[in-house]
Amino acid sequence: MATDNRINFWRKSAKVPGSIQPVYGAQHPPLDPRIQHTFPKDTPKANSLKTKKASSFHEFARSTNDAWDIDDEEDEDFAPCHPATLPPTPHSTSHAPPPPPPSQPADSNGDPRSPGQLDVAAAELRLRPEEDTAGGQVNGRVVVKSSSEALLNTNTARSTLQKQQSLPVRPIIPLVARISDQNSSGAPTMTVRDKSRLDKFKYLLSCPNTDLEELRKHSWSGIPREVRPITWRLLSGYLPANMERREQVLKRKRDEYFGFIEQYYHSRTDETYRDTYRQIHIDIPRTNPLIPLFQQPTVQEVFERILFIWAIRHPASGYVQGINDLVTPFFVVFLSEFVEEDVENFDVASLPLDTQRNIEADSFWCMTKLLDGIQDNYTFAQPGIQNKVKALEELVSRIDEDIHNYFKRNEVEYLQFAFRWMNNLLMRELPLRCTIRLWDTYQVTLTPPLYSTPLGHIPGDINTSTVQYASGTHTR
Amino acid sequence: MAYAYLFKYIIIGDTGVGKSCLLLQFTDKRFQPVHDLTIGVEFGARMITIDGKQIKLQIWDTAGQESFRSITRSYYRGAAGALLVYDITRRDTFNHLTTWLEDARQHSNSNMVIMLIGNKSDLESRREVKKEEGEAFAREHGLIFMETSAKTASNVEEAFINTAKEIYEKIQEGVFDINNEANGIKIGPQHAATNSTLSGSQGGQQAGGGCC
Repeated sequence: MATDNRINFWRKSAKVPGSIQPVYGAQHPPLDPRIQHTFPKDTPKANSLKTKKASSFHEFARSTNDAWDIDDEEDEDFAPCHPATLPPTPHSTSHAPPPPPPSQPADSNGDPRSPGQLDVAAAELRLRPEEDTAGGQVNGRVVVKSSSEALLNTNTARSTLQKQQSLPVRPIIPLVARISDQNSSGAPTMTVRDKSRLDKFKYLLSCPNTDLEELRKHSWSGIPREVRPITWRLLSGYLPANMERREQVLKRKRDEYFGFIEQYYHSRTDETYRDTYRQIHIDIPRTNPLIPLFQQPTVQEVFERILFIWAIRHPASGYVQGINDLVTPFFVVFLSEFVEEDVENFDVASLPLDTQRNIEADSFWCMTKLLDGIQDNYTFAQPGIQNKVKALEELVSRIDEDIHNYFKRNEVEYLQFAFRWMNNLLMRELPLRCTIRLWDTYQVTLTPPLYSTPLGHIPGDINTSTVQYASGTHTR
Repeated sequence: MAYAYLFKYIIIGDTGVGKSCLLLQFTDKRFQPVHDLTIGVEFGARMITIDGKQIKLQIWDTAGQESFRSITRSYYRGAAGALLVYDITRRDTFNHLTTWLEDARQHSNSNMVIMLIGNKSDLESRREVKKEEGEAFAREHGLIFMETSAKTASNVEEAFINTAKEIYEKIQEGVFDINNEANGIKIGPQHAATNSTLSGSQGGQQAGGGCC
């Protein structure tokens, strides 16, 4: 019932609260009061169309500019646990590039998932502090920043054609640098809050029966790098909550995977599977092409095996381009458990064979779990994606009517730009470091797989309700 | 930038035949052997000159995998030209041409100019499809034909430009209704006024060339 109400609310309310109010729950930085003034609250439609067109999206963009801010505190969940240990940090604002780090008062206990929060992207993309304070990753900041600007430019759409003068669409620098988030070198300076967050995770993970609900709750706003691999395994449902059973399950599943390999991998040259394999084979070198890690034969073979086995076990869709990108975050996260220096140049063949095999099997199973929830993205005519793009269109038409109308006027279809977002779960649009962080949040809602969309995986009423609404009109 | 006309192109063909490389070579004059695979559609644009007129080519580069076919189909609409690409070193990409052609003919406007391209002509030693076969297929189906190499840039300019010439001629002959944007042709901003007055009196089959 509550859900129904929520759906109706979103369906009916022409004014989306988030677009009007500077919403910043616990996940959102305080807005610059100057921005607040200029928010187009009930601006009359007819007049000043031009000004408004120029302003509202840019204001929104500016207000979310700090999405890329790296020193941002976001996790409020822990505040109640250790109120005394958390020194309040001063309020600061952040909309001038480069943005000064905005911080929330640490003792604020605001509801982190206030309905109507709009700058979901901002909330999701914000990086955890420990990832960026790490030494040698200074340029990560630059990269991320420029990438955010690229996104904004694309959305502004005014200069679309000029922008399109040349390929590739993806900027090159972020490709190379984007992976470094999983590097563990350059010990990050941990704030008290980081420490307490990590402790909380460690505590949950060390319980004889991990409380998955708690784990989800805390993971929502980002998982500390150190405990991310095991947390991902748990969240995806690959690893059981019961500590005693973990070793045994891991062993069984890893054996099972290599059983598949033994049994089926040779069939890649058979008539039936030859095309599937050939497609995978030509796509692997084109996966993360500029990162040395993924050009290593060992790594390419791992990807080929994972994708081939997945494809033949899922004949309803088979292998569809884009799925290759979905192995990457798992592989990098599980590899990072064993890598001290920079991941992107790490020689995987130097790891003990057992370790390599474990990384491969774990990546396979976790990717499988992820795909289980979104398989209709890849079945005939890709209905899952079509629906998600529709949902996105619906959402944008409420949040930013101007940009929506601009698209319409210029005959830009959402499918033309958002298809890849959905098909590759934003893997192509964001630096990997951000994707990994975003996937922390996906995994939270992954089990049970309630909402099968990159947007839907993001908790927050606006998305889930939109997706539910969209799935109500689901036609297949 | 001012242009007399804008032509919309679409590049189609099997996965891995070099569609994106052709586009990159044409727009950026460079070759990138390893690049991201295309998902959905990507875009490129370049200005060319035909008959002293600036023509902007807006090029839609599509994903080749079969799974995306139903998505790709929506991109045919409103294309004035299509580059149908196969790989001369892979026979199966040539064998699939008929399917591609059917798809293109079914989902595009009937006047769309289709250029058949046998790409990777630099890989002579690995050639599986003879040039004559390409020519024969093109003749049989009323297509223009060229062999290209996105790597060496051989014939790449020509492929894009010859297609544009063909479209331009069709405009001159009055085959294309340039006021119907569904045909994939747009009149440049500064030409629009002249054109619309001209064609206004003569209905749909107006030759755009008259104005300039």
